[in-house]
Amino acid sequence: MEENKNKNNEHQEHISSYKEHFGTWSALILLTLMTVLVSVFGADLRTLSVATAMIIATVKVLAVGYYFMHLKYEPKIYRTLIIIVMALFVFFLVMVILDYLTR
Amino acid sequence: MNQSFVLPNSGHTFDPKSSKLGMWLFLYTEILLFGGLFLVYMVYRSLNPDAFLLASFKLNVWMGTVNTIILLTSSMTVAMSITALQKGDKKMAMNLLWLTLLAALAFLVIKYFEWGAKFEHGYFPGMDHYDAMPVGEKLYFYLYFFMTGLHGLHVIVGGIFIWVVIAKIKSGKVHKDRISLHENAGLYWHLVDLIWIYLFPLFYLIH
Amino acid sequence: MTAAALPENNFFNAKKGIMSWLFTLDHKRIGLLYLYAILSFFLVGVVLGFLMRLELLNPGQDIMKPHTYNQVFTLHGVIMIFLFIIPSIPAIFGNFFLPLHLGTDDVAFPKLNLLSFWLYVLGALFALATLVFGDGPADTGWTFYAPYSVKTGTNVTMSVLAAFILGFSSILTGLNFIVTIHRLRTPGMGFNQMPLFAWSLYATSWIQLLATPVVGITLLMIIAERVFGIGLFDPSIGGDPILYQHLFWIYSHPAVYIMALPAMGLVSEIIPTFAQRTIFGYKAIAYSSMAIAFVGYFVWGHHMFTSGMSGTAGFIFSILTFFVAIPTSVKVFNWVATLYKGSINIEIPLLYMMAFIFNFLIGGLTGLANAALAADVHLHDTYFVVGHFHYVMFGGTGFAMFGALHYWFPKIWGRMYNKARANVAFALLFFGFNMLYFPMLILGIMGMPRRYYDYLPEFHGLNQIATVGSWILVSGLILMLANLLIGLKKGKIASANPWNGITLEWQTSSPPPLHNFDKLPELNEGGPYNYPDAKKA
Repeated sequence: MEENKNKNNEHQEHISSYKEHFGTWSALILLTLMTVLVSVFGADLRTLSVATAMIIATVKVLAVGYYFMHLKYEPKIYRTLIIIVMALFVFFLVMVILDYLTR
Repeated sequence: MNQSFVLPNSGHTFDPKSSKLGMWLFLYTEILLFGGLFLVYMVYRSLNPDAFLLASFKLNVWMGTVNTIILLTSSMTVAMSITALQKGDKKMAMNLLWLTLLAALAFLVIKYFEWGAKFEHGYFPGMDHYDAMPVGEKLYFYLYFFMTGLHGLHVIVGGIFIWVVIAKIKSGKVHKDRISLHENAGLYWHLVDLIWIYLFPLFYLIH
Repeated sequence: MTAAALPENNFFNAKKGIMSWLFTLDHKRIGLLYLYAILSFFLVGVVLGFLMRLELLNPGQDIMKPHTYNQVFTLHGVIMIFLFIIPSIPAIFGNFFLPLHLGTDDVAFPKLNLLSFWLYVLGALFALATLVFGDGPADTGWTFYAPYSVKTGTNVTMSVLAAFILGFSSILTGLNFIVTIHRLRTPGMGFNQMPLFAWSLYATSWIQLLATPVVGITLLMIIAERVFGIGLFDPSIGGDPILYQHLFWIYSHPAVYIMALPAMGLVSEIIPTFAQRTIFGYKAIAYSSMAIAFVGYFVWGHHMFTSGMSGTAGFIFSILTFFVAIPTSVKVFNWVATLYKGSINIEIPLLYMMAFIFNFLIGGLTGLANAALAADVHLHDTYFVVGHFHYVMFGGTGFAMFGALHYWFPKIWGRMYNKARANVAFALLFFGFNMLYFPMLILGIMGMPRRYYDYLPEFHGLNQIATVGSWILVSGLILMLANLLIGLKKGKIASANPWNGITLEWQTSSPPPLHNFDKLPELNEGGPYNYPDAKKA
């Protein structure tokens, strides 16, 4: 395999800019403040606020993964694998919760 | 002995791609380790929704928020330090890593005061207040201590990892063309952040 | 050693001294360290099983107290599952032969590999330490079900800690193998030119990696419960013991495929060699390994049909479980089709593989009976289940492992064992095995519950047959191991390729040199099992 032979010379890794990191961080902080505000001042929204909190958390996680952890610039396999892992976890969760809901 | 021949695909030569793949695989195991705990949390929360709500009022939202911001910031500094080292700016990379370590320390100090307040109130499993709590709230606090405790342990491990990287950058073992260890420490630190991103709304923001 | 005819440069004499073994980074030596350790624990487990059968020879208390019996079956389970069968094939033969199969000189992370071995040893020491410390070994069964595991006075904490450490070792091995397979294949070897053993290890490694953490955290919860005296699975504070069972089986069902898949890989490896023809349906076998690993994650609930889980969940799990049978039978059909019109050379490894297919078929089909929701309500916790999983685990994986030991013996040590004695040992093993476990299936249907030191008088006859079977089995085992040990010292020097095998490990000398290959190994054209004269047929 070609890539095996010169694995030590290939160093064309993507270098993210400071600006990009700072932008990601700003978005994360904004989302954090948003989720706190929704929760503290939107107490009558109850079930809605659980969903929004989880959605906001997931957006934050995606941002960290995509930009801070360089997933955006890695080969596709890394994204595929993480989707499989998450899907697996969601399946565990759904089946266990299903058991409790149908008892 | 004929030792001169080395296979092109030898396992003894360093390969940055293997190193990164290995680290990601390890992160998957970490995700599922905490996944098991989140599973327990979800089941018990759906079985005891009101108790979880009441118990969560006993946490300090603002301490949690500050800690979240601290962790997110440290995530940025560690990502930036990788950029710095890739650009060859050794000094900057080390300073940013020191900042990350400082943030880790700040996180743990705040956590210490938070836990300390809970101990004072006797919310730790086995203490008097804990024993008097209604069904469900006990579960909440048990899970709170277990999950934030395990997360705190990961903060400490991540901090040590980063400290090792700083030492290796200083001694020149980690540099522009041999950055894997630095990247892996960064990945681990981001994972610590990721878990906190979920822990925070699940424990502090139930309202 | 009379090394006269053995190759001068081999990994045995490349370095000397005990330290060169204990801290070796060579995957072959680590594989052998695992072999010695795992076989030792296997023998301990066998002794425990043998004693249980002795107790069950007659109804009533014979040689041990009821409480001792509970501890013995727990220790038997813990040793056989966590110390023997989960690490067995991947850690021994995977370590030794995966790099050889891929045409490389080591796994991707040799130091991590050594660390997994030492974690294994540490975990094993913890498991055995329960014999001495605390109030004796756990008496909960290897599943450590809450709430009993939290309440019992025996040393559950230490057993659980042992399982946790062993899980860590297993994760690291899996991680290492995945990276090795992705990154270290010899130039020109794509995924579809890999030997099937490597494929099966790949599937296994993914299970080790993604399922083990779940049980790791569950075991930590059990430890925390015992340390703080109150816990997450305690109904009096709003918890639920059945949740423990969910978490436990989310790992432990996929773990069954950690045990079975590598054995299937061995069968796919050995059958083509002795049929001297290419494997039938290479891709079907390779992908069915992945399919089994994948489906294996979705079926854990079939261990819990009688636990109080909801009927809806039970129904779904039952249906999903039947899907496991599809990729499994794909493999069986392909193995049999490979033998069809092959120039079959009946040697000892092939006999073991055929025994695997026979035993595994019984084990698999009785598994379907357990998977059926209604039937399982009757069969749950009876000897039918004990018979079923011993057919799959011992009759399947155990026999495959013995077969692999006979298959690769000349490659590892460069010598050949006495084939006549090996044949006798095989016959004793196969006969004794079936005599021991087949009566259990009948006993189970008759209603004999498992995990008791005593039974009703009407079960006496079949239990006697089973116990006599255990004697035959053990004598076969002793003969087999003795024969191999004699072969190790005094066996005839074997050629580099005694079976006319075609995968890459046969291209190097026996035993292999320290860095495995002195020149770049040559790939077969058209697939890993493409025998030159297969084109004629």
